Amino acid sequence: MKKRSVTFNHNPLLAKGLPVWRPRVVLLALLFGSFALVARAAYLQGVNDEFLQAKGESRYARVIEIPATRGKITDRHGTVLAASTPVKSIWAIPGDAKPTPAEVRKLAGLLDMDVRDLNHRLARDSDFVYLKRQVPPEVAEQVANMKLAGVHDQREYRRYYPGAEVMSHLLGFTGVDDHGQEGVELAYDSQLNGKPGSRRVIKDRRGQIVEDVESIRTPQEGKDIALSIDAKIQYLAYTALQNAMETYRAKAGSVVVLDSRTGEVLAMVNAPTYNPNNRESLSGAQLRNRAVTDTFEPGSVLKPIIAAMALESGKFRFDTVIDTGNGRMALANSTISDTKPHGRLTVAEVIQKSSNVGVVRMAMTFKPEEMWQVYDDLGLGSSLQLGFPGEASGRLRPASTWRPIEQATMAYGYGVSSSLMQLARTYLAFARDGDLIPVTLTRSEVPQLTGRRVFSAQTVRETRAMMEMVTQEGGTAIHGRVPGYRVAGKTGTSHKLEGAKYTSKYIASFVGLAPVSDPRLVVAVMIDEPAGKQYYGGQVAGPIFSNVMAGALRALSVPPDAPITPMQVARSKEELAARGRM
Amino acid sequence: MKLSLSLPSLLPRRKAENPAARRAVHRLGAPEVHPRELDPMLIWSAVSLLMIGLVMVYSSSIATAEGLKYTGHQSTYYLVRHGVFLMIGAIIGAVAFQLPMRVWQQLSPHLFVGGVVLLILVVIPGIGREVNGASRWLPVGPLNFQPSEAMKLFAALYAADYTVRKLPHMASFKRAFLPMLGVVLLVGFLLLKEPDFGAFVVITAIAFGILFLGGINVRVFALLAVVALIGFMLLIWLSPYRRDRIFGFMDPFQDAFGKGYQLSHALIAFGRGEWFGVGLGASVEKLFYLPEAHTDFILAIIAEELGLVGVLVVIALFAMLVHRAFAIGRQAIDLEKFFAGLVAQGIGLWIGVQSFINMGVNMGLLPTKGLTLPLMSFGGSGIVANCLALAILLRIDWENRQIMRGGGA
Repeated sequence: MKKRSVTFNHNPLLAKGLPVWRPRVVLLALLFGSFALVARAAYLQGVNDEFLQAKGESRYARVIEIPATRGKITDRHGTVLAASTPVKSIWAIPGDAKPTPAEVRKLAGLLDMDVRDLNHRLARDSDFVYLKRQVPPEVAEQVANMKLAGVHDQREYRRYYPGAEVMSHLLGFTGVDDHGQEGVELAYDSQLNGKPGSRRVIKDRRGQIVEDVESIRTPQEGKDIALSIDAKIQYLAYTALQNAMETYRAKAGSVVVLDSRTGEVLAMVNAPTYNPNNRESLSGAQLRNRAVTDTFEPGSVLKPIIAAMALESGKFRFDTVIDTGNGRMALANSTISDTKPHGRLTVAEVIQKSSNVGVVRMAMTFKPEEMWQVYDDLGLGSSLQLGFPGEASGRLRPASTWRPIEQATMAYGYGVSSSLMQLARTYLAFARDGDLIPVTLTRSEVPQLTGRRVFSAQTVRETRAMMEMVTQEGGTAIHGRVPGYRVAGKTGTSHKLEGAKYTSKYIASFVGLAPVSDPRLVVAVMIDEPAGKQYYGGQVAGPIFSNVMAGALRALSVPPDAPITPMQVARSKEELAARGRM
Repeated sequence: MKLSLSLPSLLPRRKAENPAARRAVHRLGAPEVHPRELDPMLIWSAVSLLMIGLVMVYSSSIATAEGLKYTGHQSTYYLVRHGVFLMIGAIIGAVAFQLPMRVWQQLSPHLFVGGVVLLILVVIPGIGREVNGASRWLPVGPLNFQPSEAMKLFAALYAADYTVRKLPHMASFKRAFLPMLGVVLLVGFLLLKEPDFGAFVVITAIAFGILFLGGINVRVFALLAVVALIGFMLLIWLSPYRRDRIFGFMDPFQDAFGKGYQLSHALIAFGRGEWFGVGLGASVEKLFYLPEAHTDFILAIIAEELGLVGVLVVIALFAMLVHRAFAIGRQAIDLEKFFAGLVAQGIGLWIGVQSFINMGVNMGLLPTKGLTLPLMSFGGSGIVANCLALAILLRIDWENRQIMRGGGA
């Protein structure tokens, strides 16, 4: 086209004024510019791209955690006691969130929050703030549907406890971070807790994930744990304890049920309790798993140990007569007294009537070291190693520091302290053939055949017979009887020690086993400060024991070993008299 | 990916055709081709840029539009507006096409004076609308009008008219150069008052570029170039606002979360795009990271989504467009249509310089300044002004063809 253009009629002046080379220079300059751009683009996109991409990654690639589901906790039959359900937590980037007052009101309504609190959180000078944690998925969806800029949610799990108050102390609970804070949740946290996985994702500047880049680690789900607990027995124990708490207006109480064949804890309840699903108004008193964290002076519950020692040593037989006189005995500068004078008692009757003087007479025939050894063998003063948080080991001073009066009081359970769980465990020795096995909270299929031998089988059988008398006519705990089963046990009524003085506040306790012919269960009951007129272990703790033991034996389908009542009527008077003398 | 997919589908079809038959059809068809009224290369390059621009404005704005309360969370907020502006531009362009260049020449001083008046209005507080500390807009009903965009076209028209009038005196510093210098300084003063440094650079380039093309004394021009360079240097050094932008451009990653934030994200977008891009719509940078993704930094999003290939296509289209503008201008000058010729080349210069600066800024070759990518970036005034300029270019071309076919114009 240019070639075709006509130039002959150009005004020479004008032709000189518009030279052809100038636009070419300009075009050339622009072309050069284009080449510079092409070169630069090629450098950025073909050469330097890795550096730039790395810079980009550092800005919007994030490694996010994929929470692992926490393992379930079940009872021995697989009933779910604790499970995790998915929930969402609502969070915001205050800098991006600029909701209108109407939106804030709506959001506050959905989240069940105070408008002022919400505004306060949204005004915070930070890049991340939780608005509300652990809201139900439906609520989170409604919030997401509001499409508020800068408001996001994240998936979390919330622990739900179907057993509520019944299991609370046993299971404990998890915090918002899904880590155990109390009870089994804490004790077995490392097993229950899965290992969270992680993924690399690309997020937009508002924190929304826009691209899934790669999986770095797949989450490892937490392991389920089957406890030794039997939900049915646990519920039974809970109900019995709650009723007793009301009846005796007690301050606190605990019940422990052990399977004597395996050492498994079948039930462990405490009062006062709480609902782990709603922990808004919790007090420390409610939280305590007293059965393992609180120690007390067990009192007379320890007496069968001294009796067993006496039989084992050969110095006494079950019918050896001990003179308890007028129920008062001077030792050093102190006096040991019984609740009432019993006069001459056999060893069996000392246990049945719970005579302090009788027990002290037996105990003082031993060296402190011998007594300490047996107490230590039975686990007094040392931790049960259940793994429970705040587990108490109780107190058993070294024998070398025992003064005679202390040895005497320790024989009937003062000056030594233990938790209810420890006490229950000492009775495993009586429920078994004199050997002691560890207690366990997890289900163990195999019966523990042999433990550490403390007493001979013969001694234990005789001691059990003495303890059976406790629940019979003339014993301290006729309320501890269980229809259909032969029951052995021992009451305890101890003054509470406050500061350095004993007060007129009591702890009533009862530890027993059944069936006597082939023991299967140990049940221990402790009631702290019964407020009524009744405060004796036999009166207060006995009925609870009876209730729990009866229910538990039936739940486990343990065959009855006691002659039923009509048969007892048919028995000869002589036989009855003979039994009564025992 | 896209290329490799589309190639196989193209190849068999080509093979199926008989080359001889095709040649025959071509030969037969050639004499019957209607003499073209308009420059096809110009139209295709311009329409391609406008359409790619429309798509990329949508792609780059979709997340922002959805996320902002200002847009009512409508994802098509910017798309719809950009489409409307394109239609307005097409209508105004169609009207402008009807006006002979003779009329444009008569109008040019008036348009220029009108443009200066608008620039004065813009800097008067209370009349001009301020956004982000720059008062560049005049509210017109529901829309905002940006006089500096129109001023670029008016400057091209005025400089062409001025040059044609002063042609006999082009060698004279006093008569040809000084008056234009005065006018540019006045406009420059007003633009820097807004401030709109980018528009100032473009208008200066258009005015003196046309003067250069018009044949001004080279020594005078060289002197001007030196003076202008020193002047720009001074302006940059005297204003902390501009100086900061310069430093941000030298090494954006040194202060990547401060002054270098925007540029560093633009460069990351380029790096992520690699050869063929992450795919249309798949940009991450547009997700609130890169500010002004749909306006000044649209090329960065093109680079990220369409890759180096996309960037090269855009550069090639601009090069073609500018080349056609200069060719049309040259032809007009050859036909002794000096005003039209200088206007065409002025428009070419405008599009060329502004697109070069914008792309240079996007790639970190030039300091950041608020300049849009012509024909592509979101912005009503800019798009309408571009369409108007294209219509004038087409008019000049049309008039050229009329003369060559023997018609009078």
